[in-house]
Amino acid sequence: MGKPTGFMEFGREPAHVRPPLERVKDWAETHPGYEEKTLREQGARCMDCGTPYCHTGALVNGLAMGCPIHNLIPEWNDLVYRGQWREALIRLQKTNNFPEFTGRVCPAPCEGSCTLGINQPAVTIKTIENEIIERGFLEGWVVPEPPLARTGMKVAVVGSGPAGLSAAAQLNKAGHEVTVYERDDRIGGLLVYGIPNMKLDKSVVERRVKLLEAEGIHFVTGTAVGRDVEAEQLIKDFDAVVLATGSTIPRDLNVEGRELTGVHYAMDFLVANTKALLGQSATHLSAAGKNVIVIGGGDTGTDCVGTAIRQGAKSVVQLEILPKPPDTRAGDNPWPQWPKVYKLDYGQEEAAALWGADPRRYLLNTKRLIGEAGAVTTIETVEIEWIHTPGGRPEMRECPGTEKSLPADLVLIAMGFVGPEPALPTAFGCKLDHRGNIVHDDDFMTTTPGVFSAGDCSRGQSLVVWAINEGRLAARAVDRYLMFGESVLPDY
Amino acid sequence: MSYGSISREAHEALAIAMNRLGAKSNTGEGGEDPARFETLPNGDSLKSAIKQVASGRFGVTSEYLVSAREIQIKMAQGAKPGEGGQLPGHKVYPWIAKVRHSTPGVGLISPPPHHDIYSIEDLAELIHDLKNANPDARISVKLVSEVGVGTIAAGVAKAHADVILISGHDGGTGASPLSSIKHAGLPWELGIAETNQVLLMNDLRSRVVVEVDGQMKTGRDVVIGALLGAEEFGFSTAPLVTLGCVMMRACHLNTCPVGIATQDPELRKRFNGDPQSVVNFMTYVAQEAREYMAQLGFRTFEEMVGHSERLEMRRAVDHWKAHNLDFSRILFQPQLPKTTLRTCQIGQEHKLEMSLDSTTLIPLCEPALARGERVEAELPIRNVNRVVGTTLGSAVTRRYGGAGLPEDTISLRFRGTAGQSFGAFIPKGVTLTLEGDANDYLGKGLSGGKIVLFPPRESTFVAEDNVITGNVAFYGATSGEAYIRGIAGERFCVRNSGVNAVVEGVGDHGCEYMTGGRVVVIGKTGRNFAAGMSGGVAYVLDESGEGGAAGGGFERVCNKEMVQLFPLSDPEEVAEIRRLLERHVEYTASPRAKALLDEWHTTVSRFIRVVPNDYRRVMEAQARMREKGLSQDEAEMAAFDENVLDARRVAGN
Ligand SMILES: Cc1cc2nc3c(=O)[nH]c(=O)nc-3n(C[C@H](O)[C@H](O)[C@H](O)COP(=O)(O)OP(=O)(O)OC[C@H]3O[C@@H](n4cnc5c(N)ncnc54)[C@H](O)[C@@H]3O)c2cc1C
Ligand code: SF4
Ligand code: SF4
Repeated sequence: MGKPTGFMEFGREPAHVRPPLERVKDWAETHPGYEEKTLREQGARCMDCGTPYCHTGALVNGLAMGCPIHNLIPEWNDLVYRGQWREALIRLQKTNNFPEFTGRVCPAPCEGSCTLGINQPAVTIKTIENEIIERGFLEGWVVPEPPLARTGMKVAVVGSGPAGLSAAAQLNKAGHEVTVYERDDRIGGLLVYGIPNMKLDKSVVERRVKLLEAEGIHFVTGTAVGRDVEAEQLIKDFDAVVLATGSTIPRDLNVEGRELTGVHYAMDFLVANTKALLGQSATHLSAAGKNVIVIGGGDTGTDCVGTAIRQGAKSVVQLEILPKPPDTRAGDNPWPQWPKVYKLDYGQEEAAALWGADPRRYLLNTKRLIGEAGAVTTIETVEIEWIHTPGGRPEMRECPGTEKSLPADLVLIAMGFVGPEPALPTAFGCKLDHRGNIVHDDDFMTTTPGVFSAGDCSRGQSLVVWAINEGRLAARAVDRYLMFGESVLPDY
Repeated sequence: MSYGSISREAHEALAIAMNRLGAKSNTGEGGEDPARFETLPNGDSLKSAIKQVASGRFGVTSEYLVSAREIQIKMAQGAKPGEGGQLPGHKVYPWIAKVRHSTPGVGLISPPPHHDIYSIEDLAELIHDLKNANPDARISVKLVSEVGVGTIAAGVAKAHADVILISGHDGGTGASPLSSIKHAGLPWELGIAETNQVLLMNDLRSRVVVEVDGQMKTGRDVVIGALLGAEEFGFSTAPLVTLGCVMMRACHLNTCPVGIATQDPELRKRFNGDPQSVVNFMTYVAQEAREYMAQLGFRTFEEMVGHSERLEMRRAVDHWKAHNLDFSRILFQPQLPKTTLRTCQIGQEHKLEMSLDSTTLIPLCEPALARGERVEAELPIRNVNRVVGTTLGSAVTRRYGGAGLPEDTISLRFRGTAGQSFGAFIPKGVTLTLEGDANDYLGKGLSGGKIVLFPPRESTFVAEDNVITGNVAFYGATSGEAYIRGIAGERFCVRNSGVNAVVEGVGDHGCEYMTGGRVVVIGKTGRNFAAGMSGGVAYVLDESGEGGAAGGGFERVCNKEMVQLFPLSDPEEVAEIRRLLERHVEYTASPRAKALLDEWHTTVSRFIRVVPNDYRRVMEAQARMREKGLSQDEAEMAAFDENVLDARRVAGN
């Protein structure tokens, strides 16, 4: 806060995005850049709080409050205000291995708990983060930084999502020789096959993977551990193993008609689309000309909406089981908690631009799927209400007589993920908890000595930024494990 | 936390909450708008029960004191002991200036010491003065927790304080200098333990209430405080947090984003605190304290006070710094006779009923008090008669409010030698004339009244060559008039913010830290005149022609750090000075003033105007704004805005 009164002089200038009707015509990212002057003003809005809630990174009621990787937000905001981009980049890279990912896809819990957000729109932290790293790439400041010395220790990382990648990056920094195994044909986990291209351009992931490669990390794609390489082999060949296989089993929809064709998991749809895009061919699973129903009101659902629109869907409806959130914070959701308020995300905004309304329908449950000749044609929904009993969990109750039918040619199930595939952890002898997640202790070690876990496979479905956080912390734990209790890596 | 360091909204919310709870909020240094003394239609009150009296004496008027349930003498601030306070000019908004009786946009300095306290006897005098100014209020003395505070507290108890507050080092807002936040003062636990032990061993504990503050946050803090010997507790940061404070540490920048530590009108609109949150918080604190009491087996709070043997040091703390700690002296229980009382049960003997005011003046002035009739009388006075007129004055204010009575409604003439603090805090409508001489602290805190002093008619010495009153006259005076035929001691009119005074010579440090009013000196001045002066105007007769100030004239003795010297030329001002001198002659028959008036033309050219730089700039700006057609209020705001941006501003930056 080079400028103590910045927050009084400048308003929030939200991320610049291309207009919906223009951007649905292609698969490119939705946000062009900012002008330097605007960015510096936005940086000046930061108040350099005595107690900066933006980087607390705590979990409150299961939701992130503040940046989980404790980015040095006030510091780089100030540096951006002063135009010292390179220093800002140095500060940013201290805590975040992949700012170009979080700067694009992070839901920004930092902004939810920004002090300015108490009574004004929060500081545009996420946009500034992205601009710093993109500036760094543009200026050629982001270069491979291989470690100066090697320890002679070898570590295997299984899974190349953000957790695996950040663990690999940190371990490599500490001088260990890291090999990353990925069963898919590309490195990146959900960053490539999950999050759609318009949110995170796949060339951005590739750019980072190239850097990591240049720093000395080995990447092995198309190799599923447990199938192509045995678990014992890894334990034998490496001094430590980090499991970062993500939470990949989707939650299913158990209703009549589930077996009909045209009913798919969201991930199958999204992955097929991205693969087609990267292979420049058409997808085998297209929404073109279809009435699309997306079941699930979360981010995955939104990605399905945006993808279906770009493929040329006839209509898109998104079903949400919860009530519509309030426009401003409810009394039981005060700052600095994650704001549970109504937001129009990119996919919904596009649907609204095309068809005049937010595609989400709230408080709707799926009763059954009806088909003709084995293919789905209709979805029957029913309204529900939530019964709150003091002390107890809210209970769902159907409202009789509210059944309705909607045309449905493609039904996408985006109801979240229940946990990691158990085969691999079992092969390593790791214990799973009652939810099926891999159990690890405070030092990220599973019940098998020398085998660690990080990311969604042990914390359950979460966010890219949490995955990075866990990857970093696990790397430090591994480093200490290998280096007699000492680590050169930071504890954040 | 004064109004000035925090916004009106926050200050009032705290007051409402404390009044709802039956607790007491504190004005902090810096006065209180009399409009807040009225109860609101919904039964809430914005009045602060505790009125603070700090070294700056800002806004300490008779009305202010009379409206108090407790008057607190701030000897030092926990977070910055030994340091004065300051309110930078950009925070002295017009509404702040109003309650502080100062000039908007001009920085305010609270001097480090109270100029009327140089010894424990002086403190006893101030306690007595304030008790006279409001006999119904408790007088409390705020000390900072430090080594030896117990001894000081014993002295304060002997000086008849009703309450002793031990303030821990971690209180105060983020506006305190960082060096002080980090390094000054001690934790309250140490101070309170020592204080309680010393008071008990001297059998003084039964006479005073002991209060503690400094980052109290929980019922546990309260219980520990009680076990170490406190019976009352002060909270500051925690209630502010319940009102929305986010520990921003921008308190000194005026950019508090939640409208608490700011005066900026836009930011103040963002204040969103609810007094009920404070009420809830304090209720929880009390509840928690009760739960601890129940666990300890105490039925009443009093039972618990001072039972430090019920505290135990936690031995399992595994930190290298904790290894060598020994709490036995903190938890020490002195051996006492069974009769020693452990809480305040006796109270102090202030002996107010023996004062001249109680025995004579108030009965005498009953017609004026009851019906506003004129009362005139002549009485003898002796130097054992201290604070004469003050309780009478408080009775006037109680009935007639801040406006007082018409001029000279009560006119008392005394003959003899007055004791200390003659005429302290007297309000408008009271005129005290003294033929004789006066001790120190003449007209302290003068609050609209008039004081006239001249030597006995039969005396043979030359009045203007002899000292007629002691040091620190009119300290912290806010309004009124004074005519003194003779020389005053040191620190004449220190921290004056509104009195018009005529005097025939002053000692060293005249007009120090003055922020308002007019002082006319028609004789010699001592060294260091006008040091730290940021408002008001002094008119000094240059005696260089007569070899004054060892020939170098007034310029040599004047401290020009914050003031500039000008000739007297403005016709309005000339007329004003003339009028003051004429009154001086009328009241005191001063031959010197008469001679000056006789040669008025040369007299005018001999006067030097001493004007503080910032004050002059703001006044000129206001005048300019008024010429543009702005009302006085608008002109003040416009001049304030202009001045805030002015880099030349020197005072209290
Ligand atoms: C559609 C979608 C959109 C999302 N959008 C966002 C968003 O906008 N913002 C956000 O913050 N979060 C988002 N998330 C969540 C986020 O992507 C995940 O929380 C994050 O990627 C988890 O990282 P990870 O490294 O733990 O696991 P993953 O990213 O899931 O990576 C696990 C990797 O392990 C590989 N693997 C699994 N088993 C094996 C094996 N046996 N051998 C070799 N490799 C194996 C998998 O192929 C995969 O590549 C989204 C999730 C989805 C599904
Ligand atoms: S990583 Fe996410 S939470 Fe952290 S600063 Fe960036 S946008 Fe905010
Ligand atoms: S909470 Fe917001 S305003 Fe405060 S330091 Fe963080 S980004 Fe800046």
